[in-house]
Amino acid sequence: MDVPVLKIIDLHVSIEKKKIIKGMNLSVGKGEVHVIFGPNGSGKSTLLNAILKLPGYSIDDGEIRVKSKNIQDMTTDEIANMGIGMSFQHPPKIKGVTLRNFLNAINRTEDLDDEIRALNMEDFLDRELNVGFSGGELKRAEVLKLYAQSPDLLLIDEPESGVDIENIAVISKAINKILQKEAPINLRERSAIIITHTGHILNYIDADIGHVFMDGKIVCTGKPKSIMEDIKKLGFSGCAACIKEPKDRI
Amino acid sequence: MKYLDDTTKAMLKKVAFDEKQEHSASFLATDWDVLDTHSTEDGLEILPIGTALDKYEWLRELFFTLIEKDKDTYVKEVASSDVLLGYFIRIKAGVKISLPVYTCYMINSDTFTQCTHNIIIAEENSELHLISGCTANAHILSGRHLGVTEYFIEEGATVTSTMIHSWGKEVEVYPRSAANVGKNAKFISNYVAMGSVKKLQMDPLAVIEEGGLGEFYSVIYATENSQFDIGSTVILNGDGASSEIISRVVSNGGEVTTRGKIVGKHQNGRGAMACNGLLLSKKGYIHAIPELLGQDPRLELSHEASVGMISKDELAYLMASGIEEEKAKSLIIEGFLDLKIPSLPDYLQRQINAIVKETKDFETM
Repeated sequence: MDVPVLKIIDLHVSIEKKKIIKGMNLSVGKGEVHVIFGPNGSGKSTLLNAILKLPGYSIDDGEIRVKSKNIQDMTTDEIANMGIGMSFQHPPKIKGVTLRNFLNAINRTEDLDDEIRALNMEDFLDRELNVGFSGGELKRAEVLKLYAQSPDLLLIDEPESGVDIENIAVISKAINKILQKEAPINLRERSAIIITHTGHILNYIDADIGHVFMDGKIVCTGKPKSIMEDIKKLGFSGCAACIKEPKDRI
Repeated sequence: MKYLDDTTKAMLKKVAFDEKQEHSASFLATDWDVLDTHSTEDGLEILPIGTALDKYEWLRELFFTLIEKDKDTYVKEVASSDVLLGYFIRIKAGVKISLPVYTCYMINSDTFTQCTHNIIIAEENSELHLISGCTANAHILSGRHLGVTEYFIEEGATVTSTMIHSWGKEVEVYPRSAANVGKNAKFISNYVAMGSVKKLQMDPLAVIEEGGLGEFYSVIYATENSQFDIGSTVILNGDGASSEIISRVVSNGGEVTTRGKIVGKHQNGRGAMACNGLLLSKKGYIHAIPELLGQDPRLELSHEASVGMISKDELAYLMASGIEEEKAKSLIIEGFLDLKIPSLPDYLQRQINAIVKETKDFETM
């Protein structure tokens, strides 16, 4: 059996001493796409930021293992180079660094021309990274970055936020291509964790496993679309029962 | 040109002087010796300043008109120097030459004081691109470079002047320059200083006449024990005159004061200034002093200034993309210093960027 790409064991994370993740467990296998639902401010993004050990996120307890290796003593770039790539919800503007120079610095693939064209990013290559980009352009640049990085595990933070329908379709098509969605699941090499609070992205990307994240924990795991239907009907308040009595819905 | 050893050639190359590259004219002096002065283009004249003063009586009338002989102790020292070192460049009316003129001064003897005086004349509707390097040879421990440069840019002419400095730890440098930018003329001045210098102080002046444009860009990377005090003063002296002063400074332990002053005297004048500094170390400082003086209500003058460290978010973002920390810092610093100069021809912009890249020494602390 394959080693999980990511294994999280009893994880506790805080930001400036405020506890955000309070004992979380998660295992992501090769080729699996997990989607994590949760209300705004529940700490979903904290999980992704903690996996990459971004500054300000303190791992107080528990373990994060990437391909069975504990990341405790690793730096952010070392974790990324283990095959983790993240599409940020709010990527920073970096003045002076062009998208072209950035891609050249991270590119692991031979040729990105087709991907650049598919994401309509030709005119942005000589622009400063994320400076003056619209919501859709930011997300397209983030997905282009993932192409260049060619990671084994994609961490995708709120791909639909601030993006119009046309751009969601373009971005989703590209993500599906990176995730080799055209191939049978047993042949797919890449995995993903997608964070969403609207669930809208599921209209475009097939996820295999869904989780509801509330109060610092995963409170519910099941089929992504059925979880989304429940949330649509009852809202996240409807998940309160799961906090009292967590259950597996697969 | 006289024989140059490999070390000297390498040092000259650091400030963009390479005898093999395509050029319209060139000038090279080490200490007091003029090693090369030649032009390959009709309508473009380059002479050692002494020869030019002998040849053209009228040139004496222009000498020390834009910069007064007693402006300060350094100009006084140049004015009273026994040796007259410098170049005279004149581009004739209507002649436009896109290939640059390369000039270079090098200090080649220890403790040497090099005094220079240059005159540049761009006649009406001409176009001249000048790239000037100044450096000290590898074996030099200390020295001084005092330079006076006067630019006469006549109506409708365009002059771009790119100055690249790379000195040594114990070298002091006091360039003094002034430009008279005529009606509808353009003067674009770029200054690039990389590495260490004991002390460098300059405040070039430009007086811009009606419809004229003066742009000043400076890119400075200051290492520990270096002192830079640089600035530009622009006087918008005619209707519709405009100016932009932009400086990007990185201090890796160096002490940098960056000044900018725009004085607006007439209607429809526009002036904008941006001084941005990046501090890489707790040693050293960046002191940005932007100044605006408006003397007509129909002027538009503005400035922005910022001094800070490398953003943690930007660094984390690059590292999260798999770029190791030192390389990520270099990418940010290189980008910060990669000034885009809209009015510069593309090939010159590429060359300046290449120079910045070539001469960078971005070890961070």
